[in-house]
Amino acid sequence: MSRRIKQVVVVGADAPAWMAAAAFQRSLSSAGVGVRVIELPTSLRPIDVYSALPELAGFHHRIGLDEQLLFSLCKAVPITGQRFSNWSGAAPPFIHGYDRPPPPGAGLGFTQLWIKGRQKGLRTEFENFSPGAMAAKAGRAPVPTEDAELRSAFGYNIDAGAYAALLKHFATRGGVASKAATIADVETDGDRISAIILGDGERVEADLFVDTSGPQALLIGRMPGAELESWREWLPCDRMMAVSAKALRPLPAFSQISAFRQGWIGLFPLQDRTAVVAAYDSRQASDQDVLDDLPVLANLPIGGDAVVSSLAQGIRRRTWVGNCVAIGESAFSLEPLDAVQLHIAHYCISQLMTLFPAEADAFHEAALYDRIIRRLAANLRDFQAAHYKLNRRFDMPLWDACRDTAPPETLQRKLDIFAARGRLPLYDDETFQEQSWESLFLGHGLMPQSYDPRVDALPEQDHIARIQARLNDIAGLVEAMPPVDDFIASTNLQRQREAAGPG
Amino acid sequence: MSEPLDIVILGGGTAGWMAATAFASLIPPNRCRVRLVESEKIGIVGVGEATFPEIRNFNAAVGIDEAEMMRATKAAFKLGIQFVDWGFKGSRYIHPFGVHGPVGMDHIFHHRWLRALRLGLKVDIQDYSFAAQAARDCRFELPETRRSTIDSAYSYAYHFDAGLYALYLRSVAEQRGAIRTEGKVRDIVQDPETGDVRALVLESGETISGDLFIDCSGFRSLLLGKTLGTAWKDWSKWLPCDRAWAVPSARDELSPYTRSTAMEAGWRWRIPLQHRTGNGYVFSSSFISEDEAAGALMRSLETEALGEPRLVKFQTGHRTISWAKNCVAVGLASGFFEPLESTSIYLIQVAIMELVRLLPDKRIDPRLRDEFNQRIDLQYERIRDFLILHYKLTSREDAEIWRYCGAMDVPESLARKIELFRHSAIIERYKDGLFPPTSWLSVLIGQGLIPENYSPLADGMPEERLIAHLEEFRTDIQDRVDEMLPHDRFIDRYCAAETLS
Repeated sequence: MSRRIKQVVVVGADAPAWMAAAAFQRSLSSAGVGVRVIELPTSLRPIDVYSALPELAGFHHRIGLDEQLLFSLCKAVPITGQRFSNWSGAAPPFIHGYDRPPPPGAGLGFTQLWIKGRQKGLRTEFENFSPGAMAAKAGRAPVPTEDAELRSAFGYNIDAGAYAALLKHFATRGGVASKAATIADVETDGDRISAIILGDGERVEADLFVDTSGPQALLIGRMPGAELESWREWLPCDRMMAVSAKALRPLPAFSQISAFRQGWIGLFPLQDRTAVVAAYDSRQASDQDVLDDLPVLANLPIGGDAVVSSLAQGIRRRTWVGNCVAIGESAFSLEPLDAVQLHIAHYCISQLMTLFPAEADAFHEAALYDRIIRRLAANLRDFQAAHYKLNRRFDMPLWDACRDTAPPETLQRKLDIFAARGRLPLYDDETFQEQSWESLFLGHGLMPQSYDPRVDALPEQDHIARIQARLNDIAGLVEAMPPVDDFIASTNLQRQREAAGPG
Repeated sequence: MSEPLDIVILGGGTAGWMAATAFASLIPPNRCRVRLVESEKIGIVGVGEATFPEIRNFNAAVGIDEAEMMRATKAAFKLGIQFVDWGFKGSRYIHPFGVHGPVGMDHIFHHRWLRALRLGLKVDIQDYSFAAQAARDCRFELPETRRSTIDSAYSYAYHFDAGLYALYLRSVAEQRGAIRTEGKVRDIVQDPETGDVRALVLESGETISGDLFIDCSGFRSLLLGKTLGTAWKDWSKWLPCDRAWAVPSARDELSPYTRSTAMEAGWRWRIPLQHRTGNGYVFSSSFISEDEAAGALMRSLETEALGEPRLVKFQTGHRTISWAKNCVAVGLASGFFEPLESTSIYLIQVAIMELVRLLPDKRIDPRLRDEFNQRIDLQYERIRDFLILHYKLTSREDAEIWRYCGAMDVPESLARKIELFRHSAIIERYKDGLFPPTSWLSVLIGQGLIPENYSPLADGMPEERLIAHLEEFRTDIQDRVDEMLPHDRFIDRYCAAETLS
């Protein structure tokens, strides 16, 4: 057998770097692989928030991180959906609720019943049939249930700095070595990194370099053929402004995303504050314009701590070159929408584990990793692009252009067959399952013209009864969930009791 | 409410009657009327046929009782396929309907197994598959479905008489309102402007008009091929067999698996049914004459032949457009693969169920058609790669066909899959498509490709624990298999057409 990988060096900062390091340490140290983090200066500001999908819980579980710490140390709020408003003219806001595990998609799903109901005059909106959306509306936090069909799970809004610190503590306690440094130079030899030179002159060699430096892509960006391919034609916002506002009381169980003339603004509730993020198109609005409008857009008094940064949505043409692998936003970046940022890092890490190189001198796994990450990225890009494509804000240059731009082919297929029949083809490496796409498309006003003919085999009174039963079931389900504030209080209490120990 | 859609199915046989059954069972009469035209003068290939576990979903969806269907079709159970002499002479492996290793561990199990192999242990991957062990011991019981246990880790399919299956479905479909018309098609009437098919004219003079036509006319492909002339993608350079001889023989051991034995110019199937055994030799006429092939088949029979062998000619490939205008090809009219992995009924079933979901109105929405074609095309391509794998992965040098196949270039999607497995033991997975990683694993390993490396993740567990785990899992399976009924006894009890000796 060929030479095995002995040393992995993770270059980056903040949550993605420590997530990667903790995961590698956990699964590979017993196989003789050393993990070292070269910790770059943080790119986080005190106001920053991570908005995460429920899938993050699975990652915590795998690395053995106690979820209660998020609530007690990271100001986390359980989030069961995102609420979108002002994207589609006069249409009412809608919630993309987190129904997990997703309802089975292959059979004759509830959505098809709903479409027919709608055609027959049913007025109840689609979101009322989503446990996640209804929990979000009611400000409740889901608790585990036995019901196989109707389940929801929460994602999180997390204080970014506190979460990064928690992960760092967790990873280093688990044996990850680290050094705070800057990168002075990257020595390459063809397709490979032979060493990185740190700001203090140290020369760091490794069998595998993992780039978690984010959009700057400090390692992968220097590799041949790994330029950024832009997605701006579908995701037009190139500026982002972040600021904080006071906490909302009672705490909502959803993040609020509202479109405005030049972009969108998101309110992300945390325990001690509300993180406010606006993304916008600099061709349409200057930073000052947005800053001036912010209090009105947020409909909240905002703090004086606003900061701006740039956005560049796109993907590296190669995400794994030689012995350098890009993770998370080093591989591709999207808008801070739909809570995908940590998910990208998490998914890349999981794939790299599954495809962890068998040989230190040949990386046969690279091409497959690249294909998977490209599919993941395209699917997420399509999800975000659909918000823009389906907008119905007329006579505004940004939004008119978004409607007129042809979407990626992969998205066009989804839009076409959904509009025709309410079906949702999923590709490999989809983050969002049918229910999510359906709530997105329907919420933005894309109503299917026909439904699965098997629905008509159900007698009308049974059809009505099933719809009614589902509403009742969800109402009962949500009723049994604790309000968000109670959930956080009891979680923190439990934590304190455990910390105090028995007796 | 608009008038129901008039669906006309051209051709009986398995495809036609599966389609008629599905439409008549799943779609209410106010949405569609189903007519099927077939001629008793046109024969169907009535040898024993092997299926894939997905057929159980079809039967369940349309509401067919399993035991009743099995009695009517003289069916036996199938836990997988045994491949003999494929990778090399003397080799023998089972492609089981079930995972290797514990459920949910299939991303890591075979890496651990490879590590044990490197440590010098005598470990056979098949020992860690419940379905493979049960098949080898000729035992069968229905899998445990309520709990997740060692005997819930497998699925099963059937060996049955496809002609009887079609007959059985005919009775179901007719009972549920499908109308059958006897007769041969003399003419096909097309709309002069759109090219849509408007009606079939029978030799009797009767005209059968419809909104949607389902082409189940078999290899002749009267509608999609002859009438509409949709393009055919030929795959014979990778799958060179183009003929098959088929012959039934007297019943012998009722093994719960299909046997596929590589031959001098192709391969031979053995499919045990309740009352007889189906046999056939799939071969390439470029490498052997028809007469020689027939002789080889007859000599290989283990029991007395029940009739003369019959020849079937075919071409491997498919129509990239299965649905054109208002005509949809299902089954052989849409494409053909040799029965190496029992995919033909699966492909029929997929086309029918997709068509049910995407059923058009009288005015056909082209978006439904595009979606259908895209889905079916993907199914064909993925099955194609898996079949080619069997031919490509051989070290046999003793016959021309194997030398050709061992050296041929294969599609890039397959080549990269083989190479990645060779280097790293990793199997690229996909969501849509019939064969899961465990199927690929059984063929890759079974045909002699032992990877050069395994995942470092498998190095984490201490050696003694790894060995103990493997041994414990193997004996757990064996202990449970030992308690199972012999396959023939189970059939006797569950679904015997007549008492078995």
